[in-house]
Amino acid sequence: MKRTSKDSRCKLPDNTALKQQQLPAYQLQLSATGVLSGFFATGVFCLGVGIILILSAKSIKEIEIKYTEICGNCAKLREDATNFDKECTCSIPFYLSETMQGNVYMYYKLYGFYQNLYHYILSRSNSQLVGTDLKDVGNCAPFSKSHDGTPIAPCGAIANSIFNDTIILSYNLNSSIPIKVPMLRSGITWWTDKYVKFQNPSSINLSSAFAGTTKPPSWAKPVYELDEEDPGNNGFLNDDFIVWMRTAAFPTFKKLYRRLNRIQYFTEGLPAGNYSFNITYSSSLFLGLAYTVTGAVTWLASFSMMAVHLLLKDRKMLFIQQ
Amino acid sequence: MRKEGKKRWKRKEDKKRVVVSNLPSEGRSYKENPNRHYCGNQIKTSKYTVLSFIPKNIFEQLHRFANLYFLGIVVLNFVPVVNAFQPEVSMIPICIILAVTAIKDAWEDLRRYKSDKVINNQECIVYSRKERSYVQKCWKDVRVGDFIQMKCNEIIPADILLLFSSDPSGICHLETANLDGETNLKQRRVVKGFSEQVVQFEPEHFCNTIVCEKPNNHLNKFKGYMEHPDQTRTGFGSESLLLRGCTIRNTEVAVGIVIYAGHETKAMLNNSGPRYKRSQIERRMNTDIFFCIGLLFLMCLIGAVGHRLWNGTFEEHPPFDVPDAKGSFLPLALGGFYMFLTMIILLQVLIPVSLYVSIELVKLGQVFFLHNDLDLYDEETNLSIQCRALNITEDLGQIQYVFSDKTGTLTENKMVFRRCTIMGSEYSHQENAKRLETPKELDSDSEEWTQYQCLSFPARWAQGPATLRGQRRAQPLRRCHSAQVPIQSHFRQRSVGRCESSQPPVAFSSSIEKDVTPDKNLLPKVQDAALWLETLSDSKPAKSSPSTTSSIADFFLALTICNSVMVSTTTEPRQRVTMPPSTKALGTSLEKIQQLFHRLKLLNLSQSFSSTAPSDTDLGESLGDNMPTTDSEERDDASVYSGGYSTDGGYRNSTWDQGNIQGSGLDASLEEVLEAPALGLASPELYYEAESPDEAALVHAAHAYSFTLMSRTPEQVTVRLPQGTCLTFDVLCTLGFDSVRKRMSVVVRHPLTGEIIIYTKGADSVIMDLLEDPACVTDTDVEKKMRKIRARTQKHLDLYARDGLRTLCIAKKVITEDDFRRWVSFRCEAEASLDNRDDLLMETAQHLENQLTLLGATGIEDRLQEGVPDTIAALREAGIQLWVLTGDKQETAVNIAYSCRLLDQTDTVYSINTESQETCESILNCALEEVKQFHGPQKPDRKLSGFCLPSETLPPTSRAAIPEVGLVIDGKTLNAIFQGKLEMKFLELTQYCRSVLCCRSTPLQKSMIVKLVRDKLSVMTLSIGDGANDVSMIQAADIGIGISGQEGMQAVMSSDFAISRFRHLKKLLLVHGHWCYSRLARMVVYYFYKNVCYVNLLFWYQFFCGFSGSTMIDYWQMIFFNLFFTSLPPLVFGVLDKDISGETLLALPELYKSGQNSECYNPMTFWISIVDAFYQSLVCFFIPYLTYRDSDIDVFTFGTPINTISLTTILLYQAMEMKTWTIIHGLVLVGSFLMYFVASLVYNATCVNCNSPTNPYWVMEGQLSDPTFYLVCFLTPVMALLPRYFFLSLQGTYGKSLILKAQKIDKLPTDKRDLEMQSWRSRQRPVPIPGKAQHTHHPVPPVPERAFRASTPKSSSPPERKYKEDWVLHGEKCSRDHLKDHPCPGDSSAKLSSREYLLLGPSKTTTSGAYSSGQTDEYRPSSRGSHRRSQSSLTI
Repeated sequence: MKRTSKDSRCKLPDNTALKQQQLPAYQLQLSATGVLSGFFATGVFCLGVGIILILSAKSIKEIEIKYTEICGNCAKLREDATNFDKECTCSIPFYLSETMQGNVYMYYKLYGFYQNLYHYILSRSNSQLVGTDLKDVGNCAPFSKSHDGTPIAPCGAIANSIFNDTIILSYNLNSSIPIKVPMLRSGITWWTDKYVKFQNPSSINLSSAFAGTTKPPSWAKPVYELDEEDPGNNGFLNDDFIVWMRTAAFPTFKKLYRRLNRIQYFTEGLPAGNYSFNITYSSSLFLGLAYTVTGAVTWLASFSMMAVHLLLKDRKMLFIQQ
Repeated sequence: MRKEGKKRWKRKEDKKRVVVSNLPSEGRSYKENPNRHYCGNQIKTSKYTVLSFIPKNIFEQLHRFANLYFLGIVVLNFVPVVNAFQPEVSMIPICIILAVTAIKDAWEDLRRYKSDKVINNQECIVYSRKERSYVQKCWKDVRVGDFIQMKCNEIIPADILLLFSSDPSGICHLETANLDGETNLKQRRVVKGFSEQVVQFEPEHFCNTIVCEKPNNHLNKFKGYMEHPDQTRTGFGSESLLLRGCTIRNTEVAVGIVIYAGHETKAMLNNSGPRYKRSQIERRMNTDIFFCIGLLFLMCLIGAVGHRLWNGTFEEHPPFDVPDAKGSFLPLALGGFYMFLTMIILLQVLIPVSLYVSIELVKLGQVFFLHNDLDLYDEETNLSIQCRALNITEDLGQIQYVFSDKTGTLTENKMVFRRCTIMGSEYSHQENAKRLETPKELDSDSEEWTQYQCLSFPARWAQGPATLRGQRRAQPLRRCHSAQVPIQSHFRQRSVGRCESSQPPVAFSSSIEKDVTPDKNLLPKVQDAALWLETLSDSKPAKSSPSTTSSIADFFLALTICNSVMVSTTTEPRQRVTMPPSTKALGTSLEKIQQLFHRLKLLNLSQSFSSTAPSDTDLGESLGDNMPTTDSEERDDASVYSGGYSTDGGYRNSTWDQGNIQGSGLDASLEEVLEAPALGLASPELYYEAESPDEAALVHAAHAYSFTLMSRTPEQVTVRLPQGTCLTFDVLCTLGFDSVRKRMSVVVRHPLTGEIIIYTKGADSVIMDLLEDPACVTDTDVEKKMRKIRARTQKHLDLYARDGLRTLCIAKKVITEDDFRRWVSFRCEAEASLDNRDDLLMETAQHLENQLTLLGATGIEDRLQEGVPDTIAALREAGIQLWVLTGDKQETAVNIAYSCRLLDQTDTVYSINTESQETCESILNCALEEVKQFHGPQKPDRKLSGFCLPSETLPPTSRAAIPEVGLVIDGKTLNAIFQGKLEMKFLELTQYCRSVLCCRSTPLQKSMIVKLVRDKLSVMTLSIGDGANDVSMIQAADIGIGISGQEGMQAVMSSDFAISRFRHLKKLLLVHGHWCYSRLARMVVYYFYKNVCYVNLLFWYQFFCGFSGSTMIDYWQMIFFNLFFTSLPPLVFGVLDKDISGETLLALPELYKSGQNSECYNPMTFWISIVDAFYQSLVCFFIPYLTYRDSDIDVFTFGTPINTISLTTILLYQAMEMKTWTIIHGLVLVGSFLMYFVASLVYNATCVNCNSPTNPYWVMEGQLSDPTFYLVCFLTPVMALLPRYFFLSLQGTYGKSLILKAQKIDKLPTDKRDLEMQSWRSRQRPVPIPGKAQHTHHPVPPVPERAFRASTPKSSSPPERKYKEDWVLHGEKCSRDHLKDHPCPGDSSAKLSSREYLLLGPSKTTTSGAYSSGQTDEYRPSSRGSHRRSQSSLTI
């Protein structure tokens, strides 16, 4: 019961600062002076930043117009399923008392639309959207395939529930003829979304590229007809589509819809005057809208418009910037 | 095999085991073997085999609750309805955890397997019928019924019934150190009827049947009988059983039959297998994990109910409510239930998975640093601390009770003769004391020493390597000295002094014990005395009155004769020297021949030879004498060994020459040597083997004065006198030592005078009472002288006792032939009587041992290990209670307790020795009551080991009046306590005691005590021991510490930590224990905080996503967060952080209490940190929420700042928790932070579509280009950490806790720090510090360890009264009547009064005497008031 063999190595531990736990060390000890100085330093810094922020935010102008009520008739129309393909328009006039200077952005804002639901977020196919494999409808069920088994492009609940109201802003220069305010639909998405994450399948013809797929059940048009005028905005590259596909973090969210094209009257921004929104429930794409009327008070579609002092140029602001 | 055995037992329910010889059935099939049902000798302590490892290990690991939980989570991940993102990913953590643990287990098991293999393959000699002789076999092949032959120094492979011993009287000597730690030799007898066999034992003629008990774990209980073929029976008991693991000593050959083998041996049964140890933190953690699980369930429930309610608000399904694959929607309730499961998956991180891995890693790191501590490294053994259990390092910081073995743990187990007093004059042996201190000097300036050695002892120099080699040859020794040999060669330079004197293969004879430097003053007198003896032989003059000279001679004769020491030589196999040297004519012993041989060799070899005569004066004297050379050589012998101090080489050189020329005797012996060189080479050095180390020490001391014990047989003792004459005494009778008489006597007939002399040696308390009454002597001068001698001897004894020496008195008596013959007849009668034989024997002994003449007394030191008192004091200051559990004698234990300051001179010591439960109970009651009265209302706090508190809280003045209480209890009493269900009372009493000593306790009792304290008081216990007898105790305690290198490896093998010195315990506990605890505890708390904080972010988000279980943080980011970004800082924290520096911890042991009280990790700190985590997570979530509300931010872009914020917060929190900032801390913290950004940037830049729902592509980059992100990431952590910061700063400024104060002290520069510490110590302890000038309260200044001051005998103040009261309750004399007569309350009050008087002063003790006279039994209120061990013993 003895151990006879033992290595004869010297087992003397090294006398190094690390091994003897003698590394030079600074001891953190909080004391009143340290705390107070630290506290005040932080406080002063925060105060400064706060002042700057408040000052900069003061010049932001924002107009928010809810149109759920105003366009209630259209919603009612939708209630009847037989009328689903009828067009419905409503117009909302408003008065801009002050000129909105600088860049003006137009958002739509949804209340109580839970784009962040677990199953909802999952219901998409990134590999389809990047254009590599249209047939890949991975997580999209039940919006993955039509009844006859053809894959849906774009598949999934997110795409299916796309916000599809058309909003046109008119400027009543005189009381008579409204001028359509020129709006840009480009540059409203993340650059990476537009050029990396969303890609149409490569083909000469977009419709042929999407051959073998079908449109989402709530959509009126197939994906390759979203914007037939501009091929760079068609198919999966459609800006509105891309914006929608970036699921919002909170149930109340807004998404960038258009930005002001600063030409003609609008080089300075939006001049003061009478405006009106013309909202088209252009098709029955948006199945969900029916619910707006029928029951769910929790989610309301509205329109918001804000203006902000130009603070930082190159970011997608939640504001309209002057 | 085992199963079979069990089956058999089931079938055969008797309590017997029948063993017959295997030989008749040898060669036949296994089934015919009558002993086949018994367990074989193979042992297996490993748990797994290669095949069973994976399933069995996984099964065992799943017993761990946490593992089960994680497994459940993994399974849940694969359930489709919960829709986990990536079920496979969730397997990674659990797999890592299981794998790490499995590797660790496998490694440990492999070590066990290897050690088993080594043991199983040891060889022994078994008789084989086929070969008709003994053949070699492995231990594992030994079977019950085999005949085994064992040689000297062999370890016994199984429990064997002794049938033959080469010793003619049928005795076999045994060393049981491996079993019970006692290093003395035990005698075992051959079974009656076999001892008559003269020549050789013939196993084949053995056809008896042995019937004995079934295997049990009582080491000292065994009985059975042997049935002879003729149906007669012979009984035998444990005195015939050789136990596995013991070592045969002094017996050339022994043969026996195997009775129990393998796991059924008593040694194995005494080792209850290893216990899975969980540290206290881990236990605490597990309860907190339950809390966390509760929290988790609550949160999941909220999620589930919320989901159900939220869904219920819709009349129809909104477009974002995605139906399942078939397009249908779940019922609301079911949806809620599924959501519950989903939430569990989501929030599973709340139970910190990584915590377990981190803890293991941190412990590894801690162990690494433990291993590397220079202070825990022992040069002599070349061993640093070994951590054998990796998972309980932090328990070292929470120890409340330390149970220590005595022998080899507190002491070095080396008895050293220190000083003696003969006829009232003290010989302090200062040279000897100096010598004992030299090893230290050796270390300090080894070079000088080496030089010195070279100069003065060339002989030893040259001899050194040779001796070493010789010893290596004779290496099948005991213990692990073999392990030391290579080390010694490694440290050649250092161990020069030790090499040559490295331990011979005998018990109790290390150099330090053997070599005694004679006292300068005494030596000439001894010479004279020896001469006187010589003349006695020549002329046989009539006995004169006791002169000093004759007394000195008698004293040394007594030292030499009055013992049971066996003499043996080193030759292998060792032969006991039983015959006196044959020819006196030679005038030299073999030893001398050898020495001469050496000299001769050296003369030839080296010109610069220098003899080493001890002192010049002696030499001069001896030169003038008749036989100078032999004389000086004799003394050479002594001084060479001791490394003497004379330096006058030149003079000696010349002396040598003179001697060479003059001494014709030398020439003669030289010739003899040349004639018989072989004889000289045999090196028949004498070794003494004694039953107790003291005896050996005394014999060695006598040897130093050239009274050499040459041989011993039961009938004769031969002593060689300084002049070389050998006297052979006839031993007429030996009255052995027993603990009741506390003395031993040898009756011899003086060969020269023919007188019958009784030499008695015993405890001072006993001998002093048996001395001849001076009043009886007619001559007044003699009477005066006797009184004087007695008084002075007593004074010296007190001095010795105060220095912690073991004192023995030596006395002598001359008896007339007639008296002796009468006595012998009495004795024979007594021996022959059947009833109360023991009593009669005792009585006869008392008849003989009286009217003794005091010769003198000796002081022997059981050398304490270095730094033991200091360590004990520090441990005690740290609030640790120290118990000593020893198998040793009570006196020895108490002695040691005093010398290591476990007991103080001023302590009240209760000793309880009884066998009866009733007595025990009443004593406990009385003691309790008394102690309570002393300590008054101060109830001891069970948790805080409160007995220490009263002393500290009381002002010094009152403290002096209230002595501390010590308790001494023996094994029998413990038995009574355990059997009588008195445990609680006992424990209650011990609560008041400063220290508890348990003597004479068996290994099992030791472990029972440990278990009792551990379970009943629910405290953290630590056991420390060095021998196999401590194994069960070591295993029973929360932490077992083995001391390596003393008593074999058994203790080390079963321990959790192995250290090489007791003093290492101080740093191990106070520094490393504290660090490990505080580090780990704070890390655990931090982990809980971290996970709760992080997970709550996800939880808060559920309120904004319809309780759907979605996350805003990318899944991989989440995994990485725990796995990489925040895992390293806590690890570094757990391994490296030092809340207080080691020096401060050592200087202020009170700081250890923070660990005992679990200050770093208790429910309070846990819940505070949980609440803090909730607050912080709220801040971390809602500030970003409010920032990004109403914006177009998408889910995962929102998650990024949150993730960043929480990371910053968590890291900053960690930074605030860290007490020391080294470069590593800084690097790791900054590194983690940067790693997060780098990893996120890379991940977000490369992963376009790789993680399906989250698409983190370019999110981080986008955020980094957003100033809002920076603002949020700055503001939020500040907000989150503000309360904690505020709290910490308040604490830092106004905090009162010891730790905080110590931290402040730590920050001071060195000189200020020392000042501060001193004032701290004086503040904390009003109790005087040893060495300070407060002797007014401390009547006896505690003498520093081994500090022999130059002139102690004269300068020391007269010994103070010791307020000590022993209740010696002799169990056999117990009678209930006394108890009835003296009911407890009366007793205690009476005793109290007596104590008060005792406290007032010795003069009033008569009162207590009056009290005690009321009792039938004697109560001696310390009539010898000046004696320390004055035992006012109350015998009920």
